[in-house]
Amino acid sequence: MALFKVISGRLYQAFLLLVVMSLIGFVGIHSVGNPVYNIVNIETATPDDIRRATELLGLDQPLWRQYLVFVQNLATGSFGTSYIYHLPAFELVLSKLSATIELAAFAILIAAAAGTGLGLLAGTRPGTLVDRMVVIVTVYALSVPSFWLSMMLVLFGAVMTGWFPSGGRGSTVDLFGWEWSFLTADGLKHLVLPVLALAIPNIALIARLARAGTVEVQRADFVRFCLAKGLSDRHILFRHTLPNISLPIVTIVGLQFGGMLAFAMVVESIFAWPGVGKLLIDSIQLLDRPVVMATLTFVAITFVALNAIVDLLYAVLDPRVRISA
Amino acid sequence: MTIMTSLRLSQRRIRGALTLPNGILALFVLAAITAPVLAPQNPYDMLQILGWEASSPPGTMSGNGYRYLLGTDGLGRDIASCILYGLRISLVVSVVSAAAAAAIGLTLGVVAAYFGRWVDAVIMRAVDLQLSLPTMLVALIAIVTLGPGVDRIILALIIVQWATYARVVRSVALSEAGKPYVDAVRTMPLSHGRIILRHLLPNSIAPAITLLPIEIGHAVALEATLSFLGLGVPMDQPSLGSTVANGFQYLLTGQYWISLFPGFALFALIAAINFAGEDIRRLWDPRSRSL
Amino acid sequence: MKFSARLQSASLRAAAAAVILLAGSAIPATAQQLRIATSYKLMTLDPHFSTLNENTSLLSHIFERLVYQDEKLNLQPGLATSWTRVSDTRWEFKLRQNVRFHDGSAFTADDVVYTIERIRSFLKPPSGGFQAYTKAIASVSAPDPATVVIETEGSQPTLPLSLSAIFIMHRGSEGFATTEALNAATSLVGTGPYRFKAWRSGETLELTRNDDYWGGRPSWSEVTFRIVESPAARVAALATGDVDIADFIPARDVETVRQRGAKVESVPAARLNFLQFELGKETAPGVTDKSGKAIANPFRDARVRKALSMAVDRSVIVDKILSGYGTAAAQFFPNGLAGTSSNLTPQPARYDEAKALLADAGFPDGFKVVLNGPAGRYPGDGETLQAVAQSWARIGVAVQPVGVSFSVFNTKRGAGEYGVWYGGCSGEAVDVCLEAVLKTPDAATGAGALNYGQYSNSAYDGMLEKARATDAGPARDKALAEVTDFVMRDEPIIPLYHFHHIFGYGPHVAAYVMHPRGWTTAMQATPAAN
Repeated sequence: MALFKVISGRLYQAFLLLVVMSLIGFVGIHSVGNPVYNIVNIETATPDDIRRATELLGLDQPLWRQYLVFVQNLATGSFGTSYIYHLPAFELVLSKLSATIELAAFAILIAAAAGTGLGLLAGTRPGTLVDRMVVIVTVYALSVPSFWLSMMLVLFGAVMTGWFPSGGRGSTVDLFGWEWSFLTADGLKHLVLPVLALAIPNIALIARLARAGTVEVQRADFVRFCLAKGLSDRHILFRHTLPNISLPIVTIVGLQFGGMLAFAMVVESIFAWPGVGKLLIDSIQLLDRPVVMATLTFVAITFVALNAIVDLLYAVLDPRVRISA
Repeated sequence: MTIMTSLRLSQRRIRGALTLPNGILALFVLAAITAPVLAPQNPYDMLQILGWEASSPPGTMSGNGYRYLLGTDGLGRDIASCILYGLRISLVVSVVSAAAAAAIGLTLGVVAAYFGRWVDAVIMRAVDLQLSLPTMLVALIAIVTLGPGVDRIILALIIVQWATYARVVRSVALSEAGKPYVDAVRTMPLSHGRIILRHLLPNSIAPAITLLPIEIGHAVALEATLSFLGLGVPMDQPSLGSTVANGFQYLLTGQYWISLFPGFALFALIAAINFAGEDIRRLWDPRSRSL
Repeated sequence: MKFSARLQSASLRAAAAAVILLAGSAIPATAQQLRIATSYKLMTLDPHFSTLNENTSLLSHIFERLVYQDEKLNLQPGLATSWTRVSDTRWEFKLRQNVRFHDGSAFTADDVVYTIERIRSFLKPPSGGFQAYTKAIASVSAPDPATVVIETEGSQPTLPLSLSAIFIMHRGSEGFATTEALNAATSLVGTGPYRFKAWRSGETLELTRNDDYWGGRPSWSEVTFRIVESPAARVAALATGDVDIADFIPARDVETVRQRGAKVESVPAARLNFLQFELGKETAPGVTDKSGKAIANPFRDARVRKALSMAVDRSVIVDKILSGYGTAAAQFFPNGLAGTSSNLTPQPARYDEAKALLADAGFPDGFKVVLNGPAGRYPGDGETLQAVAQSWARIGVAVQPVGVSFSVFNTKRGAGEYGVWYGGCSGEAVDVCLEAVLKTPDAATGAGALNYGQYSNSAYDGMLEKARATDAGPARDKALAEVTDFVMRDEPIIPLYHFHHIFGYGPHVAAYVMHPRGWTTAMQATPAAN
């Protein structure tokens, strides 16, 4: 019963979020301009052509009626057709999904592993040079704006050394109906720089969390007791430290993974990585409203769902935690 | 807390503040304030820009009688001057938006905690909505809807930031509102406004202050990112972010100076703010010292 | 035991598959394969959806036109081998024989009829761009499989030019094909040198050689277009050898591309970028005196327009912003192309003279304007707004440059929110721009489609109509040049520059023939001898 209440509360919140966001997104895109100019050849089309095209897309209707039509379509599971690409909008978003997922997944896996490792390295030796270095370097790493980091990676990793391609996805392989880059050597090479750009700030974030947790655990009485009992460092690390610091790390991994779906916009744009983030930026520029709405909805649902999953994991990992709506 | 311990603490605070990053931060602020004096060129004044001296490498002499220490951009703007003036925009935008967001968040957080019930429910539902989306996405939607301009960016950043303050302040104010002294004050014939202003607010302000520098750092980065995406400041008033963005096109051609130097300035500014934020947190909030 | 054996063989198979995958991707591009990074995002597979290069450039591999415009903008036989004007309103096209569509069926006059009917009566907006080319057609018929007869509304001396824009589709068995059906199709049937293989919207278009092509075996066995909208990313892709050709290289990147061993070709574009004024209204939006008070529209005074034109330093735009890959302009097409005037040459900036002229017109202290334009649409557009701001500051005109995305720009320009703005015009021939930008707007005929400032000059309108009614040839070119001379004296627009199309290509390509219309095709590239 409690679980039901939690779930229904969450669903209600997600629903509210979607309504508010769709309204703002709808009004926002509408106020910016008319997408028809991206479709017709402005240099040959007459004002009459433009008017007719606007009517055909239903953009001459009052905004509230357009929104109503949008909601009606949504009820039948359709976000409408992309103005630019003439494909169903949600299908278009889904087709870009694998690119973003593989980017974010690799970045978060690397960040979790490297971050935890660095955090443990520093946290088990508080006050040493290694610790100080980790603390300082992570502040720097968290201070680099992601577009600047991406540009520097392009400059050093691609332009100056020629080690990696500067953009694009490389060759892909079809698996479960989606295209994946990481299954080919060429695709992997294309993945390196954008993954690094996404992973580096997260390595720092996770390292700091892991370090703080480790320091706390090391100070805790039970660890001193374990040491006194003569248990090995290894034993303490795997049986006590890791389980204790895993909670905040799981949280941040979940949240950051969701954030990447949105934050990857910048990285995807710079590396010309054809993912959901780049689609969103492009569609906003082109005023392709169906695609913008589909992308926003998708990102919001994913974000909310990930938050919920993180909370559930929390409850599993730490029985003291009670989930609330 | 005796007078002696608090004195010792404040001494430690002062000494703790005299670090290298804080010194750099102070220099940045000073440079931003004195930019019109320091900068050889006002990059926002069309008459001072010599178009035919565009893309000059660092060290070139200008026809206006000074040296382009860090070179010029694709339109002839002096990069060093652009950095100084860009610092002004970055700092003004981030400090103003963070301060305004803190004020709004503080007020709403305290009000929510004090009145409880439907007031609390409405405010916190809005906070939840706001925080259940990535900040970058909220900022993007806000700026697209609001349109370009420095004032619009500030507005967008306030929209992005207020909720964090509200949530943190509410939780502190909630525990504060439950304390006996507030109950005692409530029995007196004082207006709600007075109780909030005189009693609850001063006691709930600490978390907002520790949050401020972090959020200023975020705001600098967000402003730069929005400008980088071409959604921010006007084209004739480049900020650090848009100067870096303009230079991106030139980066691959060997005209590294256009985006390299402003990028480093941006990076150093955010790092300095973050280090200063760490210091503030360490000194004001002993619980988070281990972080 | 059994289970582990099965597991073993499964993992073996997986490993083998992985090896094959890796090997497959490791094959270097052979001389027969062509990889192109293009800025043209193919929006749809419907060849009649949009007349933008974005669509037509890539689709011209699959579909062909009756008439083809060569790199001098002269007409050449395409699917039609010859055409004659039988009478004032009647044209006859002889079709090429032994042409087959990709599905093996023969190309006949019936397919031409189908194509024109599809554009005229089936397609609805927004796919209306092509109707501009068929508007003059009264009827089309096929007296025999090799002949098409077209009746026009009134005299249409440039009908073949109009047809050089139209891709011929095959008449299917099930009525007219919809745009949606074409987009979803797994095959596209044209007569072109390359066959459709795969399309990922906004990402790639893959083509294979059409071995039965009537014009002989095409040079490349496989052609892959990668859609890369960021110019920097295209440059990087070419520089690192990821692609063999990259189109629309930014001028500033030419040196880098050369240093990396790639070759560069360029050609002045058959187009003009210019500044245009609001002339119809008593006040111009965004124009005030120096203190911010509204003033009467200053642009209605030809002296003001002339002063502003004189005060533009085109050499900064051409040499600095476009790094030399641009030509300062005084008329619509670069000097020398058909229909241009040799009397019009761009002048260097003359600030003192301009300031005096401005004072003469009643603005000794100048005024304030908001200069609007698209940013990121044309080479150098955003930077040009700022360069003009620098120039005009010298004669006391304070400019606030505002660059926005192209669709926003068009929305606001169409709504009359601008006082002065940066525009562009291109076309099959110079008279297309003369008609679109400067003729008095007329919704019925479609004239003045780009004349957002409501410039109106009846003497010019009459001269242009006469020139356009002249048969193609030197007389027509001369008349168009005279019309241009006449109208530019009134300074209706400020011509800025003709940018150059710049393409780069790597070692697998021996030569690339540039086209002033800015097309990107595999047909323009010759493979390097292996």
